[in-house]
Amino acid sequence: MVISKKSSRVIGLAFSYVLLLALIVFFTFPFVFMINKSFMDRIDTSMYPVRFFPRHLYLDNYKGIFEVEMLRWLGNTMYITVFNMIGTPLSSSLVAYGFSKCDFKGKRFFFTMMISTIMLPGVVMQIPMYVIYNSLGWIGTYNPLTIPCLFGGGAMNVFLFMQFMKNIPREMDNAAKIDGANALVRYFYMTLPICVPLILMNVINIFMGCWNDYMGPLIYASSSEDKYTVGLGIYYKFIVAGSEGSFRTPGVKMAIGVLLALPSAVLFFIFQRQLIDGIMIGGVKG
Amino acid sequence: MVSLKSNGIVKKSLKVIKSSYTGWLFIMPMILGTILFCAIPFVQSFILAFMDYDMMRPPQWIGIENFKAIFTVDFREVWGSFRITFIYAFISIPVTMFLSYFLALLLNRKIPGMMFFRVLIYLPCIIPPIASAIVWKDIFAPQIGIMNRIVQAFGLPASDWLSSASSALMTIIFMSFWGLGGGMILWLAAFKNIPVDLYEAASLDGASKLRQIFSITIPMSSAMIFYNLINGVIGSMQMFGSFLITDNGGRGPDNSLYFISVRIYQEAFVSFNMGYASALAWILFFVIACMSALLFKHSKWVFYGEDM
Repeated sequence: MVISKKSSRVIGLAFSYVLLLALIVFFTFPFVFMINKSFMDRIDTSMYPVRFFPRHLYLDNYKGIFEVEMLRWLGNTMYITVFNMIGTPLSSSLVAYGFSKCDFKGKRFFFTMMISTIMLPGVVMQIPMYVIYNSLGWIGTYNPLTIPCLFGGGAMNVFLFMQFMKNIPREMDNAAKIDGANALVRYFYMTLPICVPLILMNVINIFMGCWNDYMGPLIYASSSEDKYTVGLGIYYKFIVAGSEGSFRTPGVKMAIGVLLALPSAVLFFIFQRQLIDGIMIGGVKG
Repeated sequence: MVSLKSNGIVKKSLKVIKSSYTGWLFIMPMILGTILFCAIPFVQSFILAFMDYDMMRPPQWIGIENFKAIFTVDFREVWGSFRITFIYAFISIPVTMFLSYFLALLLNRKIPGMMFFRVLIYLPCIIPPIASAIVWKDIFAPQIGIMNRIVQAFGLPASDWLSSASSALMTIIFMSFWGLGGGMILWLAAFKNIPVDLYEAASLDGASKLRQIFSITIPMSSAMIFYNLINGVIGSMQMFGSFLITDNGGRGPDNSLYFISVRIYQEAFVSFNMGYASALAWILFFVIACMSALLFKHSKWVFYGEDM
């Protein structure tokens, strides 16, 4: 039997879709399970063998979230997040403007200095940073998680802004210079508005970074309970051994996991194309 | 004459300052940041490695005592952590690279709905680690967890997963497969930069799709393969993922998940042996640097494109 070229292509396509669907089942399985289990009552979660679907929709798990100080944690997280969302793009773009639009002595030297900080190993830096923050009296405050973003926001980020500013014609800058606008005015009223798409991406990435971060708060702000961020609070109240209190049923744990994952997931779905493009650009340039 | 010359220098430097100060002011945050948050800590970390410092009493210079302890009394323990980390790196890097490359080849086609599939495969990479930890602990619970029900449905024996020293490390490697989407995105970016006419020429010459993958796609993405390989080494040598999913601060059953980074964290931020932890950190850094240098030395196979 001779299979025509067209039908063999259809078979191939069908085969790809089956394979892709199997992959999707694999990759989304943990989240589907988490969501399902967040709607299970105590009888469902203690059944054996394990249930995958809840027998009926049980919503009380989501009430369990408010038995911890979720609102305070949320406020703390928001403080850190908003600070970084404003500070990082501002300081990164400031430094990037200096590098791409100003001429000054030592430009090459300072640029090399900045780029070489990318190679500093995180594992070596983390300990002396703690010692320094401690001597500044910053341990137990949010300063270690906020203040550093005012100092350039990281070499990679500055580099991204520089790449973006490279495409802004220099004539624009020169024209404004002739009209008497000083560098700060040119930066703030001309360059920054053009960079808005990049700033938007930056802000989303920073939000996701701060929201997902648990290491930073754990090291610097775990000494008192009223400093807990969302991630840290959940870590101490729901993950650490001995946190099996009356309201921390498996269902409530899952509900809290869903809630924690939700903001990042929603943002990712809205801005998927830009975010993936951003990752790709970072990868190719790096 | 002398005064005239020095006058010239003053004039010249005044001119430099005048023409440069705006630029300097703009990059000032970066200069300060580099000094405060990079240069000073970097130097201090090196000095700390030769000190005894518990954050209570003032630091004390003890020479190479920290290193001596690591290589004598504590050698078995420290080597245990390095051994786990090496095993993890040597298994997970090749397997994850191969699988994510395969995934990228599969998703690098123009068929309807491809973007949707890519997004869903990448999704696990953006979920907060804390949320993942909650769900992993549940899925991989010994005996009653759902993963045991799944493997039993395939006729495989149930496992204790993270709760037994013999299976914990393999479970962590298995879990890392859900992060394959991160590698996949980078491969897809590399594929995008391969000129289409190469494929057109190849298919005119009658090369099969499989042949095109081996003769065009793989060689043309070798720069990205190398980049991912280096990143894989740096990342997996600093593996910290066991911290959230174990009950004992990342040690795992019988220290079977006590990666070197977890050990450094425990020494520094739980026991406050800052000097000792710094010494460990420098040893780890040295090992990573050596491994990267070795890879760079044997990187003749990497093709960076014709313009370089």
